[in-house]
Amino acid sequence: MRTYSPRDLIIVGLMLMLLEYMFMQLNLGALQKSTLDLLLFLGALWLAAMLIVEERFDPYRIIYSFSWSFIVVVSITYIFLALALQLSGVARSIVYLLLPLALTALAGLVKVKAVEPLIQGRSIKSSLGRIPISRRLQLSLYRLDRVMIAFIAISLAILVAFLITPVLSIFQYSILTPSGEPWYHNFKVIFSDNLYVRKIFIGEPKPWEFIRRPDGTLELVVTGVNYGVLVNSITNAVIVTVVATALGVLVAFALARYDFYGKTFLRVLAVVPLFVTPFINSYIVKLIFGTGGPISIITEALFGFKVRIESLAGVALAQIMAFYPIVYLNAYSSFISIDPSMEEQAENLGSKSWRLFFTITLPLALPGIAAGSILVLIFSLEDLGAPIVFNEHNLMSYKIYSSLIGEAGVVTPEIAALGVVLIALSVLGFLVIRSYVSMRAYAMVSRGGRWHPRTRKLSVVGHVLIYLLLLPLIVFTALPQIGVILMAFNVMALDRFSINPAGFTTKYVVEAFTGGSPLAADIPMHVRNTLTYAITAVLIATVLSIIIAYVVSRARIKYVVELLDVLATIPIAIPGLVIAIGYYYYLSTLSSWGLEWSRGTPLEGLFIAINPIYGELGFQAWIALITAFVVRRLPYTARSVFAGFQQVHENLEEAALNLGASRLKTISTVILPLIVTNIVSGTLIGFIYTSTEVSTSVTLGAFNKQQAPVTYYMMYIYKAGTTEAYRYAAAVGLLLIAIQLIVVIVVTLVLKQRYAFIGI
Amino acid sequence: MATKVRLEDVTKVYGNVVAADNITLEVKPGELFTFLGPSGCGKTTTLRIIAGFEAPDKGRVFFDEEDVTFKKPYQRNTAMVFQNYALWPHMTVYDNIAYGLRLRKIPEDEIRKRVKWVLELVRLEGLENRFPLQLSGGQQQRVALARALVVQPRILLLDEPLSNLDAKLRIEMREEVKRIQRELLITTIYVTHDQLEAMSISDRLAVMDKGRVLQVGTPQEIYFKPRSVFVASFIGRSNMFTGKLVERSRAYAKIYIDELGVEVEGVIEDSEPSDKVIAIVRPEDIAVELLGASTSTNNNVLRGVVEFKMFVGEKQELRVKVRDASIVAYAPKNLDLSIGQEVLISFSRNSLRALPYK
Repeated sequence: MRTYSPRDLIIVGLMLMLLEYMFMQLNLGALQKSTLDLLLFLGALWLAAMLIVEERFDPYRIIYSFSWSFIVVVSITYIFLALALQLSGVARSIVYLLLPLALTALAGLVKVKAVEPLIQGRSIKSSLGRIPISRRLQLSLYRLDRVMIAFIAISLAILVAFLITPVLSIFQYSILTPSGEPWYHNFKVIFSDNLYVRKIFIGEPKPWEFIRRPDGTLELVVTGVNYGVLVNSITNAVIVTVVATALGVLVAFALARYDFYGKTFLRVLAVVPLFVTPFINSYIVKLIFGTGGPISIITEALFGFKVRIESLAGVALAQIMAFYPIVYLNAYSSFISIDPSMEEQAENLGSKSWRLFFTITLPLALPGIAAGSILVLIFSLEDLGAPIVFNEHNLMSYKIYSSLIGEAGVVTPEIAALGVVLIALSVLGFLVIRSYVSMRAYAMVSRGGRWHPRTRKLSVVGHVLIYLLLLPLIVFTALPQIGVILMAFNVMALDRFSINPAGFTTKYVVEAFTGGSPLAADIPMHVRNTLTYAITAVLIATVLSIIIAYVVSRARIKYVVELLDVLATIPIAIPGLVIAIGYYYYLSTLSSWGLEWSRGTPLEGLFIAINPIYGELGFQAWIALITAFVVRRLPYTARSVFAGFQQVHENLEEAALNLGASRLKTISTVILPLIVTNIVSGTLIGFIYTSTEVSTSVTLGAFNKQQAPVTYYMMYIYKAGTTEAYRYAAAVGLLLIAIQLIVVIVVTLVLKQRYAFIGI
Repeated sequence: MATKVRLEDVTKVYGNVVAADNITLEVKPGELFTFLGPSGCGKTTTLRIIAGFEAPDKGRVFFDEEDVTFKKPYQRNTAMVFQNYALWPHMTVYDNIAYGLRLRKIPEDEIRKRVKWVLELVRLEGLENRFPLQLSGGQQQRVALARALVVQPRILLLDEPLSNLDAKLRIEMREEVKRIQRELLITTIYVTHDQLEAMSISDRLAVMDKGRVLQVGTPQEIYFKPRSVFVASFIGRSNMFTGKLVERSRAYAKIYIDELGVEVEGVIEDSEPSDKVIAIVRPEDIAVELLGASTSTNNNVLRGVVEFKMFVGEKQELRVKVRDASIVAYAPKNLDLSIGQEVLISFSRNSLRALPYK
């Protein structure tokens, strides 16, 4: 009997698509149309189920094929978006083309991941007979001891109290609807209201336009098209992710595989955009793409018009420039981690250049690259810096932010629903990629350099290409950070990208440190806040990470381990703004509930202190901020500590247990001394990500400005619009760069750990 | 007095794999007992259950008469030597060895004495202050052994301790382990997949496959009287034929071998009447002689053609084609043979064993 291949599914899809298209041409009533739609859908579903159940389709054909699995992921995303946005016409019939493939792949995944192991496990268990419940209890108690139980209890309690409950409270608020409306009212608004999903009319401003300025010069203004908040956010995130991934992979491949003069310099320069300087770097991007920027100078000289990039287009550009190094770092370490013999074997069999890259190198590096891409997607969705600087209000992140710090002081349930959509988008993407990556995790992403990576000498032509294309690209993407430094020292103009070395002064930097000018008076206070919060939060996060990583790597209780593993990683996928709204709801609810029964007791003060509604009157922002920081940055420290645990062979620990050491004794005498470098580097990396944190800082911090971190102040300066103050913001940016630089140097040179964005 | 170890119906399942399937056996006090089997047969799991790193899903573990099934590893006073030695890289040799003693709150000068004693025992005097990474594989192995022995455990557990050493060192360490075990008379449980190692070192051994213990006995019993096809094929080399039991007298049986198309005489172990059998002859029990120069008195004589020969030093290894079968046999090193030559091969009726066919 012949089995079916993914190609057959595409053929079936083509037929479904034609059917659907024919139906659309017929003049049918809405009811009949939706019935036919349903029939087609059920047909595809039935087909998928039948193929899988009858074993005429092997799901591994999709799972292990690089291109098919990629097509499936894209298809699922497309179908999801097309249905959510209620597309019509050809765009809609494409859904039917992809449907059989997507459904079969999903059904196959369920079968391979869930059903098969379950059936096999059942048959083995039943062949052995039943294990009595008392014995099972004894067994699970044996696997745990008091220390393990305490560890599990502590970590679960903290994560439930400060991560799960706040996030769940958003869900609770999102279904608060005006009376008479169904529970999904707010979501319906988000998926249909003109604000969120906009219909485009003829005669609207074009995405780009030539404008004649009063002084007679011609100007090309690129804005992008506003499709409504929801669509904008998704489109922007997808575009940024795709472009950043392509750039990152390209740069990584060139740097990982070729030897040329100046390579080390480019490698260092390529990570410069990762130095976070909130707001001010986006401002520099705005200047670069403004009428006074280098692009305009070039185009004016060449074509006689200036270029100005604004709004959505500007946001996308700023994000691409800031985030592509995340993909670059992951892709780079993936490329050099590939065992050279894998490629050599392929070459030995006659594969070369493009074929070699697409059949061997890229598939092997894919898990690392995918991990980087999904981070870019999430970062882009939740980014606040670029939207605020480009004054782009039609993005989900900006909507949430503006309603949180709005004067009204009340956050509407609609915003909660928006938060739910945001979290659903990023967490779904995260989980899909995570399971996709783990299913194909045959590449060794973690530690490179065990072998000598393959590099090739570049020819003269290659050198020319590198210097003509790669060098300008890398220098260009590093410009914002360079600009921040120049601006801090008064070498760069405030409103245009022009450099004047004669203006050099350390005045602004010094004043930012001493607070010795009215505009800079509050800076030292905010810097102190940031440092205090970051250090406290990161120390707590480190201890928590050790506890969680220990349970995850050592406890042999499948479900607890998986739960903790996911909970410790998922904060990466939870946008900071969602955490901020969650904390807002959670803390105010908790507070009003607590105040009720604690009236007159000393606890009353605590419940006032945690309630953002009290603002400057008593809200202690530091409590909320430190907890939020711990939760948000936990994945960074936890991954590093976890990597340490993985390097320590379990036998080393068992040897100590075997010789009579208790669990705690084993941890303190054998394990911790062995992973101290991992712990320290995890702490340091957590520290830089905490001190540069933006989204919760600018929102929760806004409720009590005296206690806000320095990133809040940078935003505040920016919003206030006193251009002179930008220099102080740049000086703070310089300070942040310095902190990050020191940490990176310590981590890579002293602790010899690889500084990379975490893989999933 | 050394400790006795008893396993009763010990069963352990990991997901879809039965790692230990109803294992019942007893390790006598002071003996060196080996679990032998291919990788994945469950021998290491059994050892880990004895050490207390795992608890069995069913069944019990006893040290003497004490039930230790659910005792933690640190309450059992066993000492294990791991396959990868598991020496703590951040401690010196001395600290590694002294670790267990310090936990037992033994005074420091007593510790010093004991470490000195154990280092002499494993012949590593003078390396106290080295770190593990500064030692050779063999030395690390000795440190691991010393660390386990110094706490005077009730039971010494060795998990493939020699598999990371090169062939020559392995033989040397094998003798060393045996010597030390003899000297201390400590109950020792040894796990290996190397049948030569198991045969040479053990007092008794258990052959395992797919979680089950197939046969327990002394090396001689296992070698000469394998009770299953797996044991016969796993230990040493064997020629195996399928056949039919034709007739049996009290001691010997007549068996018709399908591949050879002849009747041979041999020993049949299983008393149950079984029509179909598997007949086993070890190559070293087969005599190879030139035609017309036969002096052997063996009952079973076959005529075959040399199909392949290989000089391996002390002897020649042959494959002799007899009808449909290709029989492995050894010829004396000086016997002049060529491929395609006809030879006589023979074996005594004591050396052919028939097992019931399953």
